[in-house]
Formats: sequence, C-alpha cells, structure tokens
Amino acid sequence: MRELLKFFIKYSSWLVFTVYMVVSCVLLFTSNPYQHHLYLTSANAVSASVYSAVSNVTSYFSLRDINEDLQRRNADLELEVYKLKNVIRDYHEKEYADSMVVDSALSRYHFIIAHVINNSINRSHNYITIGKGSLDGIEPEMGVVDQNGVVGIVNVTGPHTARLISLLNPHLRLSCKVKGQDHVGSLAWDGRDPGEAILEELPRHAVFHKGDTIVTSGFSSVFPEGVLVGTVVDAEKEHDDNFFALRVKLFTDFSTLSTVRVIRDKMKDELREVEQDIEVKSTF
Amino acid sequence: MSKTVIQFTILTILLVMAQVLVLNHICLFNVAVPMVFIYIIIRLPITLGANWAMTVGFILGLVVDIFSDTYGMNALACTILAVLRRPVLHLYVSREEELPRPEPSIYSLGTTACLKYLLTMTLVYCTLIFLIESFTFFNPLRLVLLIVCSTLLSVLLMAGIDSLLTPRSEKRL
Repeated sequence: MRELLKFFIKYSSWLVFTVYMVVSCVLLFTSNPYQHHLYLTSANAVSASVYSAVSNVTSYFSLRDINEDLQRRNADLELEVYKLKNVIRDYHEKEYADSMVVDSALSRYHFIIAHVINNSINRSHNYITIGKGSLDGIEPEMGVVDQNGVVGIVNVTGPHTARLISLLNPHLRLSCKVKGQDHVGSLAWDGRDPGEAILEELPRHAVFHKGDTIVTSGFSSVFPEGVLVGTVVDAEKEHDDNFFALRVKLFTDFSTLSTVRVIRDKMKDELREVEQDIEVKSTF
Repeated sequence: MSKTVIQFTILTILLVMAQVLVLNHICLFNVAVPMVFIYIIIRLPITLGANWAMTVGFILGLVVDIFSDTYGMNALACTILAVLRRPVLHLYVSREEELPRPEPSIYSLGTTACLKYLLTMTLVYCTLIFLIESFTFFNPLRLVLLIVCSTLLSVLLMAGIDSLLTPRSEKRL
C-alpha cells in the first residue's frame, strides 16, 4: 500500500495531467457537434462490425421459425395472386365483349364469352371444354365462334362447364356456302390436317375459284349467316359426279384457342316450335 | 505570497473578462484571433508545482470555454500549455536561480528571452486550439495562416500587458 502511494506521489503530475486530459476530451467530444460526430462514427464503425459478426452467428438459430413463417406467407400470397388473375381475366372478357363490332343484322344474336379450359386437335374426334355452363346461359346445340371463325357446337353442359364438339370432329357437319352465292354444301373434317376441312355436296354447276371465302349459310339455327369459316384451297372430284368437294383452309387456329363466344339465338325457341309444328302437320 | 495571489486573481478576472467580452469577437482580416488569457499561464511563477499549474490551466480554459460555448477545447489546450511551461522556459533560460522575481516577465528574463518564451508559448497554444477546433487537415494553408496571424497578434497584446505590469520604479533595465 505504501509503495502504491509512493508511486502515486512520485508520478502525481502525470496522473493529474491524465485526469485533466480525459475530462477535457470528454467535454470536447460530447458538446461539440463535429467532434461528437467524428467520435460517434468511428465508434459506430467498430461497434457495427462487432454486431454484424455476432449476428452472423446468432441468425442461424431462428431459421426454422423464419422458414415456417415464410412458407405460410407464400401460400397466402399465391392464393391472392390466383384471385387477382381471375379478376383480371374477367376484366379482359368484358373488354373483349366491348371491342366486338355489333352488326345490326345480328341483333337477334347474343354472345356469351367463355374461356377454353381443355382442347385437343390431334385425336380423330376432338372435343373442347369451356369454362361457362348452364348457370351462365349456355344450352346444348348453341354455336361457338371465336374472332377468326367457327369453333364448334355445344354438346353437353354442366352447371359451370360445357363441352363442345369441335369443328375438327367428323361428327360435326356444318352447312356452308361460297360467299356471294347461294349454293349450299356440308363442311366436315376429314381427320387429316387440323387446319383444313372438306366442303362436300356442292352442286356441280356452282362457280368457285381458289381463294374464295366460305361462310356459314345460316340454314341452321346454330350459326347466323355469314360467319367466316375458311378459304378454298383446292377442288376435289367426288365419286358422285354431280357434286363437288372443295378443300377449305380454316380461318380458326385450333391450336391457339383461348377465348370463344357462344352464340345464343333469341329466335331459336320460336324456330324450333315452328319447325316442330311443320313436322307434326306433315304426318297427316 | 498572498499579494501575488491576489494580484493573480485580479489579473485572471480582468483578462478573462477582456477575452470573452471583447477579444473573442475580434477577427482581424478574417484570420487573426487574439488570445490573451493565456498570459496567466505564461506568467505563473516558476516555483509553482506542475500539478498546481495544470489545475490553474484547466480551470482557466474551462472558464473561457463556458463563456464562449466551446466545451473542452480551451481546457485541453490550456492544460497542455501548463505542462509545457517548464520545458519551454528551460530552452531559453539557463540559470533559474538568479531570477529577481519568480514570474517570467520582461523584467525578470530580459526582453529577448521573454519575447522568445512568449512567442513559443503562444505559437504552441494557437496551434493546439486551431487543431482541436477544426479536428482535420482539410485546409492546411488556412490553418497555418490562422495560427501565424493569431500568434503575432496575441504576442503583441501580451507584450503590451507585460510592460504595463512591470513595476514602475524598475522599468527598462
């Protein structure tokens, strides 16, 4: 103890000096902004590096909880994205409906927009499924078109979905004619090329050229008159010499079907009733 | 003994008042700032111990700091100056025992030695204070200019005060 005191007394001036220096420095660094800033930033650099090193290690301990939380939030976000996509699709449908040019002659026809949810073009008999059904007003034997041309006819309906017989199906025979004339034939798919169909039973005296447009004849209540079907590519002679068969290149691209319109004919019920009566009467 | 203490106290008060009220606001040609309160430290008797000198310096610096809102700067510089008092004096004065008075002044040291001592101390102090204030070598030229000009001005003023304080009967030896 004595030695310590002697030491202090011997070097007392250094001690006093140190004390005064420390006090002045403390005053200096705490009260003056610039020096304070310097001290803080240098101190901050040191403490920041220490903290980052420590957190590098400790962050591993909470990874499992973070993972679970992230997965849950991922699931919520995906659900939200799906809902938003549906909303956008609905808006696109409405926009599509608004962008259609409505011909006054077609005012008896009413269009229902639907999305294609299943399609095939490479089987021998092709069917298409759409995302609207009987609850949206779709009934069997309604015609379906898209912006290019004819697509098919509704076959079976459920409450929310419907199945169409595609044009690429030999069961479907469409009543068509060459545009500008009145001669009517039957369009059917021959099962070979998904972009081409055969227009048969065209009378031999019908005049046609390559590149002529084939349209629906309007003879059935399924399709209105004048819906585009395709263009004439080639002529084929049928085994029956009285009739021609034309090879028609279809306007509709069945491989990229996405949005279609189902045609609802307001006069369909009336037509069916009138035709039924005729049949009944004809039995007499 | 007590006479010196009273003298010193009055001198301290006067100089500190003069510094904070008048001289702090003078800035000749935007470079020279007079610092005369360090005259107290310069004039401290040689016989005074280092600890006491440091204490006096610290308190003096602190008082000036409190008045001029620069906490710690003057205190630091004055403390260091008080420590350097003895070594600097030893540079210029070889025989300490033959001084007529214990305080270093023109009367006791002679003009040349006193001026040299004054100049050195003031230079050291100005360097310290300006370095602490700016805390960076951002503009070294301006810093040097400040130091030199302030030193000259302060030395001038302090030489004047010194000659004022010389006892009348023993002037101009």
